[in-house]
Amino acid sequence: MPPRSYTDVSDQQVVVFAQEGREDAYRELINRYERPVFSLIYRMVRDNETAEDLAQETFIKVLNNIDRYRPEFKFSSWLFKIANNITIDHLRRRQIDTISIEGSPDAVTAERARATSVTVTSGGESPLEELESKELGAAIEKAIARLRPEYRACIILRHVEDYSYDEIAEIVKLPLGTVKTYIHRARQELREYLGDLK
Amino acid sequence: MIEHDFPEDFVPIAAELQRLPYLSPSRDFADRVISGIDRLQPARAVAPVTSRHLELQQGGRQTVVPRRRMGVVRATGTAVTGVALLAAAAFMFFEVDLLTAMLSAAVVQYSFVIAAVGAQIGTLVLGPATIAYLQAGALQAVLLYMTLVAGLVGGYAAIRTAAHIAKLKAA
Repeated sequence: MPPRSYTDVSDQQVVVFAQEGREDAYRELINRYERPVFSLIYRMVRDNETAEDLAQETFIKVLNNIDRYRPEFKFSSWLFKIANNITIDHLRRRQIDTISIEGSPDAVTAERARATSVTVTSGGESPLEELESKELGAAIEKAIARLRPEYRACIILRHVEDYSYDEIAEIVKLPLGTVKTYIHRARQELREYLGDLK
Repeated sequence: MIEHDFPEDFVPIAAELQRLPYLSPSRDFADRVISGIDRLQPARAVAPVTSRHLELQQGGRQTVVPRRRMGVVRATGTAVTGVALLAAAAFMFFEVDLLTAMLSAAVVQYSFVIAAVGAQIGTLVLGPATIAYLQAGALQAVLLYMTLVAGLVGGYAAIRTAAHIAKLKAA
């Protein structure tokens, strides 16, 4: 019997209902992860429309293959793995090695570049704290955008999504040592880019 | 909270990374995902495939599958048709003698058929007096001006449609 609300239901249990073909279970999984997945992809491609298309492709692929999900792994890890694969494939197709900090490389006009530049929002702070936080947050967004896509994925998964090195290695399908190296180098580069703001 | 495995000078950056806000996709994101899930399709009677591109342009859910390529093909086809119709109208306007001669030749060639069918229909619809007038030589003029008007109206409408499509795509 499916629950009235999925609030206290684990991902694994929601997946079981989704495997039975329940649309509300699909919607619950989308609701839980659309923002983390979209955020990861957006920070890698820096274009809203492209990020939406790739996030949509990710969810459609995952949910159409929900029967293949193995419950011994975290659902979110599987989801991020597909999202990362799809995004890296896209970046390789587009041959984008370096993302402009001024906006999407797809932007052909100044207006489009402004529309694709990063804006950061925060809440629950004093105006001064909010200003400082926005400044640092925007600087960090720009610094992340200067990293290689592989570094970007690893650093976001580590510091934004709190994944362990092992989980990141599983998600990005790279050896553990490579993941550690990527994260170490990403931290170094972020420190360099943000040197003046710390 | 992840374990502290980085140098002290990275601590403020790590803290700020953890505070990075989640970004949200558009509000109909879940609907668009659901509409793309094959295994749910039989249970959904009419599940329109939606596109936020059309939603932005027209403000509502629209059934769309091929969006960009079909639009380009349609706009190109309409524009070409419009230009062709306008060119035909212009030709008729500037080369009216030649057209009249062509129409005259056509009328002569098929005069028996046209006369027989036209007389029957014309008598029925317009009455014997009108038919007598047309048989006196006004048929060619009528055909000429009807063709001219059709060409101008059709060309104008096609150009407007092409411009409308181009405007929607630019939005």
